[in-house]
Amino acid sequence: MSMALFSAPPLHFPTLSSSKRHLTSKPYPSLSFKKPHLTFLVSPRAIDNGSGSAVTVDPEILEEKAAQDDGAVKVEESNGSPPVASAGAPAPEVVRMFKDPRWVGGTWDLKEFQKGGETNWDSVIDAEVRRRKWLEDNPESSSNEAPVLFDTSIIPWWAWMKRFHLPEAELLNGRAAMVGFFMAYFVDSLTGVGLVDQMGNFFCKTLLFVAVAGVLLIRKNEDIGTLKKLVEESTFYDKQWQASWKDESSSNSKDS
Amino acid sequence: MASIALKTFTGLRQSSPENNSITLSKSLPSTQPHRRLRINASKSSPRVTGRNLRVAVVGGGPAGGAAAETLAKGGIETFLIERKMDNCKPCGGAIPLCMVGEFDLPLDIIDRKVTKMKMISPSNVAVDIGQTLKPHEYIGMVRREVLDAYLRDRAAEAGASVLNGLFLKMDIPKDANAPYVLHYTAYDSKTKGAGEKRTLEVDAVIGADGANSRVAKSINAGDYEYAIAFQERIKISDDKMKYYENLAEMYVGDDVSPDFYGWVFPKCDHVAVGTGTVTHKADIKKFQLATRLRADSKITGGKIIRVEAHPIPEHPRPRRLQDRVALVGDAAGYVTKCSGEGIYFAAKSGRMCAEAIVEGSENGKRMVDESDLRKYLEKWDKTYWPTYKVLDILQKVFYRSNPAREAFVEMCADEYVQKMTFDSYLYKKVAPGNPIEDLKLAVNTIGSLMRANALRREMDKLSV
Repeated sequence: MSMALFSAPPLHFPTLSSSKRHLTSKPYPSLSFKKPHLTFLVSPRAIDNGSGSAVTVDPEILEEKAAQDDGAVKVEESNGSPPVASAGAPAPEVVRMFKDPRWVGGTWDLKEFQKGGETNWDSVIDAEVRRRKWLEDNPESSSNEAPVLFDTSIIPWWAWMKRFHLPEAELLNGRAAMVGFFMAYFVDSLTGVGLVDQMGNFFCKTLLFVAVAGVLLIRKNEDIGTLKKLVEESTFYDKQWQASWKDESSSNSKDS
Repeated sequence: MASIALKTFTGLRQSSPENNSITLSKSLPSTQPHRRLRINASKSSPRVTGRNLRVAVVGGGPAGGAAAETLAKGGIETFLIERKMDNCKPCGGAIPLCMVGEFDLPLDIIDRKVTKMKMISPSNVAVDIGQTLKPHEYIGMVRREVLDAYLRDRAAEAGASVLNGLFLKMDIPKDANAPYVLHYTAYDSKTKGAGEKRTLEVDAVIGADGANSRVAKSINAGDYEYAIAFQERIKISDDKMKYYENLAEMYVGDDVSPDFYGWVFPKCDHVAVGTGTVTHKADIKKFQLATRLRADSKITGGKIIRVEAHPIPEHPRPRRLQDRVALVGDAAGYVTKCSGEGIYFAAKSGRMCAEAIVEGSENGKRMVDESDLRKYLEKWDKTYWPTYKVLDILQKVFYRSNPAREAFVEMCADEYVQKMTFDSYLYKKVAPGNPIEDLKLAVNTIGSLMRANALRREMDKLSV
């Protein structure tokens, strides 16, 4: 069904593509961009699932679009510009839209993700990942008629936790415990303050905080480099602004 | 390229050329005694006899126009040099509400009042911002040729002489109070098309001549990093135009721009579709194509009536003034990050600089020197530094990658955010927020960022 929608009446194709070309190249020939060739219609995966799926492209919209393009071309022709040859028009160009049977009306249809009476959030995340990946490679036109309503915040926090944090949590907890124990031992051996007394001490509380923050922020060796770069980046703009004041001090010292 | 060109100017400088490399100076506090000492000196600066102080303003944009008006009103003999009186600079043309009041702009120069903004994320989640606007609040869209001409006319009315000419270079005086000699090619009714080389002697110069400032070159002000903005003006059919009547669109995403945004702004009778970038200037046409593709059905059938591109400064020049020459507006580099706004700041800096000159010269009676102009710089940095910094942080956090942009759009859906952004944009004051709301916002934003980044990591796994 969706395939039928995609292959809109062939009549419109020449006009559609020619009007596109008109938009890009007419007034400023030197600026004409090469359109990347758009031969794919839908992702192969979507075709597989396409039969009997819910409609994502409203047929009327496509019709309307084609009709409007028609009109635009006619206006152009009446202005006296040479009519665009339609016989040798390139492969039909179709509005590229993400297709998936579970993607209905701009959001994931959660009914499709039911498993044993409950929503399987993991597969919602999987589906969204795949959609974003697809969009990255094929940026989609935004449209007001078919808005995207899906919001990642509808996936409950524990689903994210379970998937992204738990595999790492064991490691982090273990690391924090080891670092904490060693630091407590270290402080004890240096100052003679016992573990229980350390809890009441401000300095030791700060150390505890540093240890936890450190374990959270530095998970891999590369993280140190990344953090350093972040600090540099965040002060770079300040330096750019300070330049004119620094300049004054140097010229002043020369003057005086 | 510009830096190579600049090297030829180093010989003109009296002092040895500074290295323009930027290192945060610890010597900042040590400048204080110097400056104070010099301010005392300026009070004893000589009176100008037989005439008033003469100041040339190079460039007749918002910065130049505002500066010239303030100078002329302050009793200073003002010359405004503009190369092209009907120049319509490629520019988004958005002005905040407070500018209308502060510069007393008539309402008829505002073509459109934008009350709705649409932010569209890389995965095409669209968020309407602007519901929190009060009925009288809007973002004004102006045509630069209209705004610039209006401000220039007002400067002329106040007594400034507006010269149609192309500024070429200036001779920097060797003596302390000797005049600057400006060389320019004049175009007026007498010179016909060809133009005539003339000179002009003035006591101080305000450089308001934009990103490729020649004044900046003559004082060896150094370069700034710039973004390139590419914009197409597209005339679309009336029924499509209706959609953009009071709505502007912002597209974010790696496809549209790696470090800025793509836009569709309504103009008087057409829309401006464009995008900008600092890091990938060579790919700008690709980004423009992507912007057009994203807006696709809303602008199809449109006719491109003009294509334009322009550099946008990213940060101030290493040196913004020297002796009696000061830079304002784009020439100084006062464009915000993140939003890329510059008109208001240009006009404001022009006015602030002119006020400093008027004050320092006691309404044109005394000579000015660097310490007087430094006051403008000091005041400027004090007033607007926080605004620039906040926008810089926003850009760094949220234009970093596609997941960050998704989080940005999610964040913008929040009413509190919209209220705060519009308040600070329209009135240019950072209003103190509600701490509880701020905290909620911080938690939500971090949540959004983490979710989006988690998805991104999964996406990376997919491709492997």
